[in-house]
Amino acid sequence: MTRRVYVTGMGVVSSLGLGRQAFWAALVEGRSGVRPVSLFDTSELGRDLACEIRDFRPRDHLTAAEARRVGRCSAFAIAATRMAVVDAGLSLHELAQERVSVVLGTTMGEVDVISELESAWLHGGEGAIAKNKLARYGTSLLPIHVARAVGARGLVQTLPAACAAGNYAIGFAYDQIRAGRADVVITGASEILDKVQFAGFVRLGAIAPERCQPFDKQRKGLLIGEGAGILVLESEEHARKRGANVLAEVGGYGLACDAHHITRPHPEGKGSITAMRAAIASSGISDSQVDFVNAHGTGTPANDQVEALVMREVFGQRRVPISSIKSMLGHCMGAASALEAVACVETTLTGLYPPTINYEEPDPECDVALVANKVMAGKADVVLNNALAFGGYDAVVCFARPGVLPEPRARAGTGDNR
Amino acid sequence: MLPLAITGLGIVSPFGIGRAQFFSAMSDPEAAEARAFSGPHKVLSDPRFARARLAEVPDFDAALYLGDKGLRNLDRATKMLVVAAKHALEDAGLKRDGAFTSVVPERIGICAATAYGSLDSITEINRVAELEHPRYLNPSRFPNTVINAAAGYVSIWEGLEGPNVTVVDGNCGSADAVLTAETHLACGRADALLVGGFEVLNEPLYLAFEKLGVISEGESLSAPGAVASRGTHLGEGAALMVLEAPEAARARGATVLGEVVGFGSAFEPPASAAQLVHASDKAVERAVRAALLDAGLTASSIDLVLCAESGVNRMDMAEEEGLARVLGSDVATLATKALWGETFGAAAALGMAASLAWFAGTAPRPLLRGELVRPVRTVLVMTMGYYGNVSVVIVKKA
Repeated sequence: MTRRVYVTGMGVVSSLGLGRQAFWAALVEGRSGVRPVSLFDTSELGRDLACEIRDFRPRDHLTAAEARRVGRCSAFAIAATRMAVVDAGLSLHELAQERVSVVLGTTMGEVDVISELESAWLHGGEGAIAKNKLARYGTSLLPIHVARAVGARGLVQTLPAACAAGNYAIGFAYDQIRAGRADVVITGASEILDKVQFAGFVRLGAIAPERCQPFDKQRKGLLIGEGAGILVLESEEHARKRGANVLAEVGGYGLACDAHHITRPHPEGKGSITAMRAAIASSGISDSQVDFVNAHGTGTPANDQVEALVMREVFGQRRVPISSIKSMLGHCMGAASALEAVACVETTLTGLYPPTINYEEPDPECDVALVANKVMAGKADVVLNNALAFGGYDAVVCFARPGVLPEPRARAGTGDNR
Repeated sequence: MLPLAITGLGIVSPFGIGRAQFFSAMSDPEAAEARAFSGPHKVLSDPRFARARLAEVPDFDAALYLGDKGLRNLDRATKMLVVAAKHALEDAGLKRDGAFTSVVPERIGICAATAYGSLDSITEINRVAELEHPRYLNPSRFPNTVINAAAGYVSIWEGLEGPNVTVVDGNCGSADAVLTAETHLACGRADALLVGGFEVLNEPLYLAFEKLGVISEGESLSAPGAVASRGTHLGEGAALMVLEAPEAARARGATVLGEVVGFGSAFEPPASAAQLVHASDKAVERAVRAALLDAGLTASSIDLVLCAESGVNRMDMAEEEGLARVLGSDVATLATKALWGETFGAAAALGMAASLAWFAGTAPRPLLRGELVRPVRTVLVMTMGYYGNVSVVIVKKA
């Protein structure tokens, strides 16, 4: 039996607001989440701006026991999950099942815990290492905390695919439903702003001094953000049976690896082109049916140029609208493509393409049909979410309005999975 | 699941590097174990750790296998994984003299698991930030802090352009990596995948587990193969296997070392909201049943269980109870961590690698429980996370 996979709920923790409504309203308005960093001292680093979340109070979303047990990254994920579950109209009884799984992405998880512990160790000796803090580290804890929050009892897994982690997680979650291994999967990604990560990007010369300007000739780099985007994926059968409100269908997805450089994209976009073509083909459509692409669009010189090249290579003469919400939200690392996936679904629901703000001077090297500065209305039956990452990773996920995509093809080995 | 052929093994372990050395050590595991823990170790250089009983990969020198160039910015974990990948591809006959023979780069990738693979690099970078200043941290070492960097470097070294996935699920990682690989192969995203895991020893890791009270420095064995009596000893290593569809393996005339035929996974939360660490016999039972169902096998067809026993009493007891409920209490069981220590995300991969040695005819020992009644043809590899999560893989002789 082939099965369609639907998005039936979404939750967001972001510098532009909490919850999908606030998030989407801010994106449509073209608001910026950029502000001075308050989480750590940036003096002497030469850069001091990021899209930091200021209005997140863990106890608004977490129980007292959870708040004691979890780090900031897991707290974001739990909060966004609770929002997504409410949005999906799923009861705790429907979630406390063996066929409910949690698959999440992140780059570094609770990395600030390591900094804190190591600082204590270096300055205060072994005795200063707090045992209860030790237990907060572990990238594998992220989906455990989320599974406990909703009662899920199926597979728990983290896919740490750096800046493509959200797409990796959503793709694998989709796979598990297609294979009949789960009915519902809580998926997406979470990431926090951290001092060492911030300093690392400064040292790579990747952080812009003031603004993130994707595809602009004067673009000077990325701005780091943080947050969590969580999606509830559900099998067609499960969604139909409970009369769920279907937001969008997850089409296919594509993965590839540049095998070229650990941080820089392949100069000809080799893996990225493969991944985008695979996302289109595995959705059972042709490139002519893609209406909009949510760009990776980091605002670094190399990324945007390669992405423009990929668009030309995949779509030829047809200028498919493209936009980068990183201009507003910053680069939320592992969570980036999860938050962008939420935006993709909103695009299919509203027919609105969110803008790329701060766009002033066209770059002949980035000749794309950019949604510059102001939101645009357009056809939004099929939308692609593009991501690239450290490690030479390329991952593209397709989202579509329900009823647009053809019946999915059977997957090998499906029959004996139930 | 789709049954998958294992056609190559690359391994960096305390028992040697490459399949031949590892298989040979598995033919006399007790002697091998003595060697693995024989120390004095070198990997934790502070004299404070001199008494630590560790299964380290002795004198690991990646340059012997990869040459001198391009290694400067790779950390120990990455080097081990790259060496394992190189060996696996050659062992499977997919590469000869560094060139692909029967697979195109776009159709081969890697699914590698680790729990703490980037800890070494994160703490190294942190140290610079803390003791000097963040502005002095080395940008060419910074990418190593990202946990998928090791698999990313494998793609660069070996030219793998297919799916490149790092899986993190604590101790269950490399069992889960098998599911990931099966998923991508079944969905036609690759023709062959390197699958396995890696973990390395370092001071912060040792210190953390010592602080959590699970490390033992004792040496005596109260029962053959039992680790419970002596607490956890840490180990390290990297193991990657080439997985591909059996038809594809046959078509290219590959030697099939074994087959992966089943996967099962379960999570059971603790009853108390305040509790974090949790051992669930119910999760063990559910995951083992799921794996048997997935493989289309009955409990009686399991010849050998590679249990996850790690010397943490609560965990070990829950495992034994859960296993007994499905497989009976006299199924032949071997505690692999008595051989090579706790290797977290790499554990299932090392267990699968040892299974291949036993399929090839060497005798698994020392057994923790039960007796072998026939040559080993079907092995159930257990993994147990610290939080109530369990994953199981079943491998079979081809």
